This record gives sequence, C-alpha cells and structure tokens, in this order.
Amino acid sequence: MNTEHESMEVDVLFVGGGPAGLAGAIRLMQKAAETGMNLEVAVIEKGAEIGAHSLSGAIMNPIALKELIPDFASQGCPIETTVRDDEFYFLTADRALRVPMTPSYLENQGYAVISLSRFCRWLAEIAEGMGVSILPGFAGKEVLYDPQTSAVIGVRTGDKGVGKDGTPRGNYEPGVDILAKVTVFGEGARGSLTKELTRKLHIQGLMPEVFETGIREVIELPEDHYFTTSFGNDLHFLGYPLGLDIPGGGFIYEMKDNQIALGYLTALSYSDPSLDPYEAFIRFKRHPFVSRIIAGGKVIEQGARTVSVGGWHTMPQLAVDGGLLVGAGAAIHHAPALKGIHTGMKSGMLAAETIHTALELGDFSQKTLGRYPEMLKESWLGRELYEGRNFSAALAKKMPARFIHLAAQYLNAGKGIRDMLPLEADCKTLKPAKGGIPDTLDSKCYDGVLVVDKLTGVYLSKTLHREDQPSHIVVGDPEICITRCYDMYRSPCTRFCPGNVYEIHVDEVTSRRELKLNPSNCLHCKTCDIKDPFGNVTWTCPEGGDGPGYRRG
Amino acid sequence: MNIIVLLKQVPSTETMIQIAGDGRSVKTDDVSWIISPYDEFAVEEALRIKEKQKGGIVTIVSVGGAKAAEAIRTALAMGADKGILVNDPATAGCDGLGIARILSTVVQSLPFDLIIAGQRAVDDENFLVGAAVAEFLKIPFMSLVIQEEIADGKITCHRTIEGGTAVVSSPLPALFTTQRGLNEPRYTSLPGVMKAKKKPLDIKTLTDLGLDPAIAATPLMQVISLKFPEKRKAGKIIDGATLADKAAMLAKVLHEEAKVI
Repeated sequence: MNTEHESMEVDVLFVGGGPAGLAGAIRLMQKAAETGMNLEVAVIEKGAEIGAHSLSGAIMNPIALKELIPDFASQGCPIETTVRDDEFYFLTADRALRVPMTPSYLENQGYAVISLSRFCRWLAEIAEGMGVSILPGFAGKEVLYDPQTSAVIGVRTGDKGVGKDGTPRGNYEPGVDILAKVTVFGEGARGSLTKELTRKLHIQGLMPEVFETGIREVIELPEDHYFTTSFGNDLHFLGYPLGLDIPGGGFIYEMKDNQIALGYLTALSYSDPSLDPYEAFIRFKRHPFVSRIIAGGKVIEQGARTVSVGGWHTMPQLAVDGGLLVGAGAAIHHAPALKGIHTGMKSGMLAAETIHTALELGDFSQKTLGRYPEMLKESWLGRELYEGRNFSAALAKKMPARFIHLAAQYLNAGKGIRDMLPLEADCKTLKPAKGGIPDTLDSKCYDGVLVVDKLTGVYLSKTLHREDQPSHIVVGDPEICITRCYDMYRSPCTRFCPGNVYEIHVDEVTSRRELKLNPSNCLHCKTCDIKDPFGNVTWTCPEGGDGPGYRRG
Repeated sequence: MNIIVLLKQVPSTETMIQIAGDGRSVKTDDVSWIISPYDEFAVEEALRIKEKQKGGIVTIVSVGGAKAAEAIRTALAMGADKGILVNDPATAGCDGLGIARILSTVVQSLPFDLIIAGQRAVDDENFLVGAAVAEFLKIPFMSLVIQEEIADGKITCHRTIEGGTAVVSSPLPALFTTQRGLNEPRYTSLPGVMKAKKKPLDIKTLTDLGLDPAIAATPLMQVISLKFPEKRKAGKIIDGATLADKAAMLAKVLHEEAKVI
C-alpha cells in the first residue's frame, strides 16, 4: 500500500506509557514549568488505555517516586499494601523450607505492593494534568530516521482498519508520522522498535539481553486468608518445580480487598525444549504449601510478560542522535532485587533532565543527549545496576557454580569471581529434544476457577484483537517450523507461548504438519521473539488498542 | 443541519462483570469503559450525514459521572463538534425514564433537526431512552435503523423487522435509533484526538438545566437484584469402541437418563 501519512509535530515523544515513559514525561513537565518553557509532549501507548499492557508483581521501592512526586500519598497514589516483612522459602516437591536469612536485596520492608496497571493509570492522570498528551490506542510501528544523518526523528504509528489480506477496509485509518526533537523509547522488555533501533544503529550491549517469562495472576481469596494473620506479606520461593538448574521462582504478594498477586518466573535460558513455563507456573500453584495459601480462591485476572534481567552489561547504548532508551526496554532492571519499576522511573527522569538541557541548548545530537547515560552512571541507579552486573550470568550457571558465583558477588559488591561473567542469548540455549511429546499436566488439574488452563488465562487477561487484520506475529519461513524446528526441538513455541498462539496441526490424510497461528490470543509477552531457536518469529505491534486489558496488572 | 447524538458510557464488553455488595449494582473499580456500541453507530451516522450534507454541527449529549467525559472526547475525536455532559451525583439513581427526561431537557435548549441514539445501552438493556426522548420532545421516532436517507426536510429509514425490513419516513426533526449493520464506525485518528482536546465540552448539573434534583432524579422503577445466569452443567461424553456402539449408548442414555425418547 502506498499511503500518505499525515504528520504531527511535538517537542518530545515518549513511546510506551509505562512507568519509565510516564515518569519521564512528568519530570520533563516539572523542569519545563520551573524554567517557563512551553512544551508539546506526547506519550503513545499500544494498549487501549494506559496500564492495559502493564504487568508486574509488583513490589516497588519508592525511592524514585519520592524524588518525582514527594507528596505521592496525598496525591492518591494507588498503593495496595505496605510490605510488613519478607518470607523466603525453598520448595521441595512437597515441602516448604523457610530460609532463615533473606538476601539483603530482597528485604522489602516498608516498600509498596502495587498493581502496575493502576499505578501507571495514576501517573498518566498526573502527566495529563500537567499538559502531556496521553495517547493510548496508538502503537509505534516504525522508527523514523533522518535520511541523511540517521538521527531518530520520530515514530510512525500503525495503520488501523487493514484486512487480513493487507488491503484497507472501509474504515481504514493510516498511521501518522509523529515527529519529535527527541524520541524516548520506553517500550518495556523486548520492545519491537527498540529491537529494530538497536540493530540498525549497532548499539546493542556488550552481552546479549537475557529474559525471564513471568505469568502472574490476581486471585481473590475468602475473607479469612493466610495474610490476615501472617507476619510477612511478601513471599518469595525458590526450588520446585524448576529446581536449582533453571533460574526462576515464585512470589505471592498481598493486595487490597482480600486479593493477592501470585506469579512464577522461568528464565528463558532453559535448555530442555519440553519445558512449558505455564506448566511450571501451574505446578508452583499446586504445591501443597502454595495451595494452602490460595485455597478457596478465584483467579480474577491473569497475564504474562517477559522481564529483561541481564542488567548492566546487556544495556544498549542509551543515547543516539534524536533518541533515548529508558526502562526495561533498555535492560534497566535491578536483577538481584527482582525490581524494575523504580529503575525504569529513574531512567525516565534522568532522560527527561537531559532532554530539558538539550532543549535549552537547542542541540539534540548524541553529544548532548549522551549526558543521560553519564548521569545514570553517577546516580544511585548506576550504582545499583553496576552492583548487579554479574547476577544473571551467575544465575545461568548450573549448581554448585551458581552459588559460588552468587556468594562471591554478594560479598564483594557484585564483582564476584569473574567480572563480566559471560551470558548466552536465550535463543541459543535449547538442546535437541530427547524423545517424542513431553509429559504435560493432566487436564483434570484445571478446575476453571482457581487453576485455569492457558485459554481461560487468555480470557482472564481480557485480551482482544480485531480478527480481520494481518497477523502481527510474523513467521519468516513456516517451513522451518514443521521441519527443522519440529525435528530438533518438537516445536517449543507450542509450549513456551503462554497464550496458545502457536499450534502444530497434523493433516489426518496426508500426515503433513502445519503451523497454525492464533495471533488473537497474544498476551504481548514477547517470549516467542526471544526464545525461538531459529530467529524465525518476529513480534510486531498489532492494531493499536488491541492486546490484553489488564486492570490490576 | 444540527444533529444531536445521545450517548452513554458503559463497561467494556470484555470486562468481567462482578455484582457489588448491595446485589443491585455492578462493581466499577476495575472496569474499563467504552461508548455503548450502538451509540458509536449513532456517532458515525451523524458524522456521515454531516459529511454528505456538507455542513452541520454534531453535538454529543450524555448523562454520567466525570469519567463519561472520556466517552464524549472519543466521539469528538471521531469528528463530532461539541459535547454536553450532565454530571450530577443525583442522577446515579435515575431510571431510564428519568435519564430520558434529563436528556430531552438538554436537547430542548439546542437547535436540532435530527437526533440519533443507540437502540439500547449494552449495560442495563432498557431499550427505552430513545423512544422516551422522542415522546418528551413530541417528535417522530423510528427504531432499529440500518439505512437512512435525508431529502427535502424528510428522513426515510430502513428498519429491521422480523424476517425483513420496513421502509418508513417522517418529517424532520425526528429521532431514530441504530441497529447493527447501519455502518462501521471509524477509528479515532491521532490528529482527531489532538483536535478533540480543544473542542467545547460543557458540564452541567440538574440545577443548571432548571431541574429539581429531588424530582428529576427520583426513579419510578428500582432495581431489586442482579443475578448471573445459572451455570451450565458439564456435558457427558459418550464412549464406545465403534460408531454403532456409541449410537447405541447414546440412545440408551437419552432413553434412561434424559428420558426424552
């Protein structure tokens, strides 16, 4: 299609309405107000509303929030509960052993349990009140570059009203070129534009980014539940079902109104292609200790999202001509503490301060914008990220090397035994499948209320995609899926995808296998784009406004 | 041509509805809100008429809380010209007739040639407001419209009826309600959203409209309780080695258990 794209100019464009982008937009408006600067600032968000695609545990270290909005409590910041105490367990197949000492990184007393969806909606209201244009339902589809200098000059939003076959429908609405002096990418882990940008401009980090896939639920419990009498209301779990060789673990946090957040993360560095992170999550829920806590409950929301956990050495170059990278999309995450909200916010705020300087100087080149990574390095954020620099690489080691590396890092401020402990990209870690179809959980374990299967989970994520649109999951060569990938790994996509987007069908007559995609089920977690061993899957944004509809994500 | 669209903000159709503690209302804390889909058809049709007539003003009128302003903004982003929201806490307990009375009071203060409304709101499913507003305004009313033409001060509407369509006509001003199939609503464009921020949206209370909250908002009908449909029982799968076995088993079960043959 050769379409005319209208263009629209703003001073600063934030791509992605998560905590990093929103904190950045607020900080920028604060600085502009202090200096009497009149700015046009916009935030685009692919979800139907702000928060619709925001998913996290979440325990928030309020350090960045206190800097951004010191009177956050009186401004109505939606905090679920405050962490009273931490409980840290090691799970065997049938027992839970309380670990007597919680690692200092995981001491969360006084921190806030939040729903990231709610929190982001609140931040967006504040930003909007300061004059920021909050534009949910618009997905960034393409980065716009200056043809001469390759400087980032903005983003083209996705077309709407395109049919499955790629032809415009009656209500076709072409995307718009949003041109900005500075474009800030805060798309979250494995952002599609960030991926494109870092590859095109060759600004990837020293090591490949590595990820974990988290599946999380909000469960409503009966009035009288574990947390009404427990000392701790922030529970972390290691061990069963992943064991000690695959990084990952579970959490349960107390929320408001007899609700809890329960989740399980599986590192995508796993090597066994028969592993299914969703089943690991279900096995965790069915562990006797966990089942007792959630007995009588009902799942009211479910979601899945990848987390970029590699940290410091995997961070891309954060500033280019006309563009900045913030938050989880730039691997800005405090891995040992399992936290990315305060780090994302702080990165957005530092980016905003740099942009403010750039606006005063009228220079948006990398030279000026490069102050942002400098400031980041010198701030508490830089110190935190640097200290966790080798954590994920140590976790990726098998036992007992893992504990030795971790213990050394714990004792010498992150340096460990070997600094710059190498990481391997998640798409390279699968080993060939040993047998045929792996064991799966008995479908009878799903009761549809407290333990739900993948498709019920998709329903509970309130995911919706307009059916008549081109697939946003782009499979380069479907032949690879049914030949090389099936032969070697038995189609791991059918397991690692928590939304059942991928199915392999076998024709009854010809016995020919065929890949069937259900892109409407997609939870936008991006696991496929990361873990696919052949780099055959590319995740792109569907029509703006489509995808999950998290309210308590 | 002055066109008025009556619009209601409702919980989005994919929201998981939970009944509130009072048993008579739904929990609204974690609900996402949309324009009632039939009202969206109304907005689209108003814009198409305006485009076809090469002029006119499309005014959106709604009754609701502060949040309902977002629904009006969406309609403005689609291309409507201005909005009026009656936001008065007293309207929370209103029934359909009360809402219709308030809407018709607003409309009376405006010039209008045509009013378009959704056939019903997809939350309370009263099928009432459009007809009642027409009655209060003493103008012709046509429901379930899938096609319309305007010419010489008259509107001709195609209405869906059981098994077919009826073609009806009336002088303007008139009010019609929408049926699925009338049109496919447009997307809100990014420039449209930016322009909508600057379009006028008046917020009014009942007193502003000259209505006495104690009278205007007192419902004649009250909701006693809300209930979910009964859960369907799990089905039964008939097992058997061959098709003939399965058929025999099915016949047996239908005869002995279900007692229908």
